Amino acid sequence: MKRVFVIEREDNVGTAVLEPIEAGETVEAYGRLTGISVVANQPIPYGHKIALRDIPRGAAVIKYGLSIGTATVDIRAGDHVHIHNVESNRGRGDLAAQQTSQGAES
Amino acid sequence: MTEFWGYVRADGSVGARNHLLILSGTVYANDICERVADHIAGAVAITHPLGRCQVRPDLRMTRRFLANTGMNPNVGAVVVIDHFREEGMTAEDLAHDIQTATGKPVATVNIRAAGGLIAATQQALYYAADFARMLSDQRREPVPLSKLLFGVECGTSDTTSGLASNPATGICSDLIIAEGGRTIMAECTEWMGCEEWLTGRAVSPEIAARIVAGVKDMENRALASGEDIRGSQPTGDNIVGGLTTIEEKSMGACKKSGSAPIVGYLEIAERPATATPGLYVMYGPGHGAESISSMAAAGCQVLVFNAGGGHTSSHPIMPTIKITGNATSYALMKDTVELDVSGVLRDEITLEQAGRMVFDEVVAVASGRLTKSEALKAHNSFAIHRVGVSI
Repeated sequence: MKRVFVIEREDNVGTAVLEPIEAGETVEAYGRLTGISVVANQPIPYGHKIALRDIPRGAAVIKYGLSIGTATVDIRAGDHVHIHNVESNRGRGDLAAQQTSQGAES
Repeated sequence: MTEFWGYVRADGSVGARNHLLILSGTVYANDICERVADHIAGAVAITHPLGRCQVRPDLRMTRRFLANTGMNPNVGAVVVIDHFREEGMTAEDLAHDIQTATGKPVATVNIRAAGGLIAATQQALYYAADFARMLSDQRREPVPLSKLLFGVECGTSDTTSGLASNPATGICSDLIIAEGGRTIMAECTEWMGCEEWLTGRAVSPEIAARIVAGVKDMENRALASGEDIRGSQPTGDNIVGGLTTIEEKSMGACKKSGSAPIVGYLEIAERPATATPGLYVMYGPGHGAESISSMAAAGCQVLVFNAGGGHTSSHPIMPTIKITGNATSYALMKDTVELDVSGVLRDEITLEQAGRMVFDEVVAVASGRLTKSEALKAHNSFAIHRVGVSI
């Protein structure tokens, strides 16, 4: 089974650091979060992220145990997570005020 | 309690090296400094293109970089050479700064006053030869790790940097701080997007405010040049590589600072005024050579440079340990890269084990083990940050 690296236990995304992942493949988390697996809904290129859980629109995408941005659509577990469904919290005072203190999905 | 073997200085600081520094005061003394260093056992030259025709704030910056580098505990003695008298930046000014702060032996040579290049070379060689023998009498002693000021840097970053080498270095930093040591992280350009994480670690509102102001200032300086460094972050290459937001990119970089409290904010090349254990953050650019030179000037005795792509960077007086999480980079660059922590990403070792590997290497190098670059006499990374134009 292919695997994705997770840097902190709180993260809701993993990174494909060993090899790219094809759509339909089951991947398992390793690193600081283990015991969770998801089916990739799209191809995940090397170095890119996959959602390990559902991330509702407006919720934080968590990597390094911290918010790296906000989901712009409902992200399903197994989705490719990148610029098409995440936006930065930088330079968005309106959104940042609502979301900086909000955890992932606790 | 971990110890390292270092040279205990008169001011209580501890050197990981016992360099005889031949320090150039101006661009026009660079060649004589190199020649003198070539002829004297254990001598190393620091040269640069500045020291003349700089606006005052820029000249003061040059003086701070040069003088503070001479103050670094890795330097046992200094010969400063200049060629003329530049008000505010003479060899005597630099010697005065170094001696006042540390009490270490410093000699000065002025090429014109000596009667020309040949006579100045002879004068500098006599000083340097005496210093070299004096330094050879000094011995390393075991000292607690609390005497270590550790520097962290990253460059040639890739997909592996934020996930393997930077977090491993952060774990090493936390281990050093847990033993009473201090760490400096510079490169405030790379704090952009994770200011909240850093300010949340600051022990006072004043430090937190200075972190935010430092990033803003660097951003404004870039904007003033007509470049928007934020608007283009992450870069197109970063996005192709899988980085989605500036927050993600910056957090990957800032993971090298570990998780310790931020106990101080330093201006570029500023020496910490306190021995309080913890992380000190320093204003400065992402430019690798300027950044590591600013940390050497602050007094760091050892630095870890996380280089996803591998690197040749090495400071003349501060051992510069290189680490990569990319096995291909290590294979290509293993003559100047000490550690390969790619085992983290292959699930062969944990991040904690990788952090311990980095820690063990830092303690060994602080105690005298040569870095790969030192073994090759590769001293390519002295550079002075500029804050003004040449005039």
